[in-house]
Amino acid sequence: MKNYFDCKILIFWSIVRKFALQLTTYNLRLTTYNLRLNIVIFILTLTISNVNFAQTTAKNDTTWLLKIDTLTVTAQRILKNIGVQQTKLDTIALRENISVSMADVLTQNTVIFVKSYGRATLSTASFRGTAPSHTQVTWNGMKLNSPMLGMVDFSLIPAYFIDDANLYHGASSVSVASGGLGGAITLNTKPANEKDFSVKYIQGISSYDTYDQFLKLNYGNSKFQSSTRIVYTLSDNDFSYKNYYKKHYIKDDDGNIIGSEYPIEHNKNGNYKDFHALQEFYLTTNDNSHFGFSTWYMNSKRGIPMLNVDYHEENSSQSKQTEQDLRTVLSWDKSFAKIKLFGKIGYTYTELRYLYLGDKGDGILSKMIHSQSYVNTGFAKFDAEYYLNNKWMFSVNISSHQNFVNSIDNAIINTEGNSVIIGYVKSRFELSSFAAVKYRPVERLGFAVNFRNDLYGKNHTPVIPAAFVNYLISAKGNIRAKASIARNYRYPTLNDLYFMPGGNDSLSNESGYTYDGGIEFTLKNEKTNINGEITAFNSNIKNWIVWLPNAKGFWTPSNVKRVNSYGIEIKLNTTVDFARDWKFAGTGNFAWTRSINHGNPANWADESIGKQLVYIPEFSAAATAKLSWKTWIFTYKWNYYSERFTTSNNEKNTKIGKLGAYFMNDISLEKHIGFSWAKISLKILVNNVFNEEYESVLSHPMAARNFGFFIEIIPKFKK
Amino acid sequence: MLVTILANAISCMNYEPSGENDFNYYNDNGVFIVNEGNFMYGNSSLTYYSPDNKRSESEIFIRSNGIKLGDVAQSMTIRNGLGYIVVNNSGIIFVIDINTFKVVRTITGFISPRYIHFVSDTKAYITDLYSSKITIVNPQTSKITGSIPIGAHKSTEQMVQYDKYIFTNCWAYDNKILVIDTETDKIIDSITVGIQPNSLVIDRNNKLWVLTDGGYKNNPYGHEIPALYRINTYDFSIEQKFNFALDDSPSNLCIDENGDNLYFINKSVWKFNITATNLPDVPIIPYNGTIYYGLGISPRTSEIYVADAIDYVQNGKIYRYTPQAVCIDTISTGICPTALCFK
Repeated sequence: MKNYFDCKILIFWSIVRKFALQLTTYNLRLTTYNLRLNIVIFILTLTISNVNFAQTTAKNDTTWLLKIDTLTVTAQRILKNIGVQQTKLDTIALRENISVSMADVLTQNTVIFVKSYGRATLSTASFRGTAPSHTQVTWNGMKLNSPMLGMVDFSLIPAYFIDDANLYHGASSVSVASGGLGGAITLNTKPANEKDFSVKYIQGISSYDTYDQFLKLNYGNSKFQSSTRIVYTLSDNDFSYKNYYKKHYIKDDDGNIIGSEYPIEHNKNGNYKDFHALQEFYLTTNDNSHFGFSTWYMNSKRGIPMLNVDYHEENSSQSKQTEQDLRTVLSWDKSFAKIKLFGKIGYTYTELRYLYLGDKGDGILSKMIHSQSYVNTGFAKFDAEYYLNNKWMFSVNISSHQNFVNSIDNAIINTEGNSVIIGYVKSRFELSSFAAVKYRPVERLGFAVNFRNDLYGKNHTPVIPAAFVNYLISAKGNIRAKASIARNYRYPTLNDLYFMPGGNDSLSNESGYTYDGGIEFTLKNEKTNINGEITAFNSNIKNWIVWLPNAKGFWTPSNVKRVNSYGIEIKLNTTVDFARDWKFAGTGNFAWTRSINHGNPANWADESIGKQLVYIPEFSAAATAKLSWKTWIFTYKWNYYSERFTTSNNEKNTKIGKLGAYFMNDISLEKHIGFSWAKISLKILVNNVFNEEYESVLSHPMAARNFGFFIEIIPKFKK
Repeated sequence: MLVTILANAISCMNYEPSGENDFNYYNDNGVFIVNEGNFMYGNSSLTYYSPDNKRSESEIFIRSNGIKLGDVAQSMTIRNGLGYIVVNNSGIIFVIDINTFKVVRTITGFISPRYIHFVSDTKAYITDLYSSKITIVNPQTSKITGSIPIGAHKSTEQMVQYDKYIFTNCWAYDNKILVIDTETDKIIDSITVGIQPNSLVIDRNNKLWVLTDGGYKNNPYGHEIPALYRINTYDFSIEQKFNFALDDSPSNLCIDENGDNLYFINKSVWKFNITATNLPDVPIIPYNGTIYYGLGISPRTSEIYVADAIDYVQNGKIYRYTPQAVCIDTISTGICPTALCFK
């Protein structure tokens, strides 16, 4: 009896797990601003290795090569970023390949743990051992987290649609939004600063009938920029694998088993078709106001792959998920002598459907479950920054989201014989106000305090305070120490409060207390550049919301969990310019994460106290190495997670409840060719080089070695 | 050495067949504990417990067969020395030898199977969570031989039999007990009870007992006082109704071998003699801090087995009590122990 409702909720969960967002953006252009105002305080040579394909005009016009330029950045660690634990994702990461989603980018380039169910399926991000809903995500300032589920599915965000991505770890997330008990991620689009008209087209052909298409049209001049981007991906995704959890039984005429073997099966019902279109306009007026408009439409149709322990035939049982989103943001900003103002309004529409089809015996697939949700969200934000002098900066902002949610499940006939719908219709207004003061008494030292307060519906969070400090230990070695501390709150999602059945409208806020400290350095000479960072963190989260079955047999949330997470994050980037045409760029990251349950035991038999949370790896690491020679580029990607438990008591003595250590190796080779009419780049990639058989989430089969071929064409127009 | 370290660091995931062990539990009056696992985790398992020597074996299905039991194992029924394990979300029934635990047959072709009931050695009914029919199979050949449409109802659950009639409850957003004539494989009647009948048994006097949970607050279908019904199996009339409190959640109705005493979970575990005129005031086994997830009464000894899923994501426990409710053993199980099946 129990599993009717949990099926429903979890299926719904699995459905609504799709939240892609988009935003349109708008670029802060802080650099320019700060240069103009001369209030840049901390000149820190933060080096960001930036690999660009730059046309070497000095040489011949058709030659392309990998230019690894150590941008002695925008070298300003401005007041605004005092103490902030931030990871900026560079162009190499975001533009690695058209088939790459933000889930892949985060997996390979950050210390975040991404739990991925497979190719083009749900991928959620967890910061510092917290839950996916503890990662707050914005797109040009507008919330991406589903107001119903609280999380974001990063597999639905094409990396080629994001121009600027930043991670804010722990306390630093307070400057982005409330509720980032693990952290926050900001995703932005920004003007390409093109001159005239340009076109780029990429075609990918990969294993399992996978086709990736990308088209970008840009037009721009000094005042106006227009950019159109389209991504269209489709795949049968029917890879083969040897199924060690099923047997093909050889039966006699009476149905008795007379032999068996582990079958070779294919990934069932894993096909997908995703379409994304992004249009942006940017305008700079004569009085130097900047206006931006971006709108992102997404239409995703995905099968939910069957488990490797599912015995249904594909033609007798199917789960499907479709999602349509439209996200639009209008932005404005203007700079005065000491003040900078930003304004944004936006709108999001999300339509999500989950369909479970079954054959009732007549050979026709009928709807067994049809869950739908419709979300309309209006958004407005206003920011003001005031730079008193080169020691003080003040900023305030206020942002609001008005959500209208309609969650509809199957209709039923009630006892009076009337048709009624299981679901809920709710609206909620969310208002977040923020103030910050930054102070740099001497060149080496900076302090900042932030305050945030959130209203949601008729409730509010307590004041969310955060404090930051920076200290330059050695200007010569670019060694800086920084630390931050915050108290943070996350309020319940609309499903937590109102889901039918099970929603609990008496839930409290989750509350977190977190601090971290770290050191970063940069070493460089003419040929070599190394920068690294090591950070230790500690967080306590109370009233963590968990859904558990109740006595009626359905799931309901309550504030039960208490978690202490602590660990170490290490990041290292290096670029080396070897002799003659050889260049190397490497990035690596490592995390040690202990995420420990310190709740009250459910009863005397509860063995989960003091144990690592399920699916959170204690160790994770990733590295990328890029080697270029003239117009060739070779890339090696490596990724590792230590053993993960799927039971709260971290059961080791089990054949079904743990996932072994995960190692993944991918390579690619790329060649750039110039013609008089176009620039062309060819790329071949091999994923899962060692042909590993594995699962990353229990009972979800994964693809063996697979291949992709990509061609990029940039036509040249005569001027 | 460097090469070795590097090779270990880059590759070699440990993923391979789990191997097979031989078990021999002939002449043992054991108990199978069906562990549901977590939905979409595929971590259902089977635990075997020998009451005589208080020993248990965990994960016996994968250990004896080298494959997983699947996703959301729901129930198990023994017939002629074979155990029929219904694995709901995997859409399969594994038929195992109850002494060696080896799979001897599999039956597939269902949408979301829940329970199996044997009408004869060659005919069994299988209820389904999402199907508007009950499936008929021949257990000896594993073949589907027919089906029984259930009209406008969405699902069927447990089954009990008196004479040629099978009674099955329609639980989710429903209030009916369907009556099936096993000679014609047709629904011949339905009995209206309270909201959401969740379990049923037949007593020594051939009376049908049904427990309803009453739905939940704000349920568009309705929310009412849960109740225990006694139903006449000759004319299908309701003879008695015992009311609980509105907030109660009675479930898991069981009966002892002689058909004298009913047991059910309503936060605590309660015992109810079929001749009683009121619901009991004092539970037989008190609440333990977690919601009891399953209940079984030994047909040999009338001992009471109570399942505890603890936090639903760790191995659970079974508490074994004497008929007088003295705890005599605690058994470790798999995730979410839900059903007990006595050899």
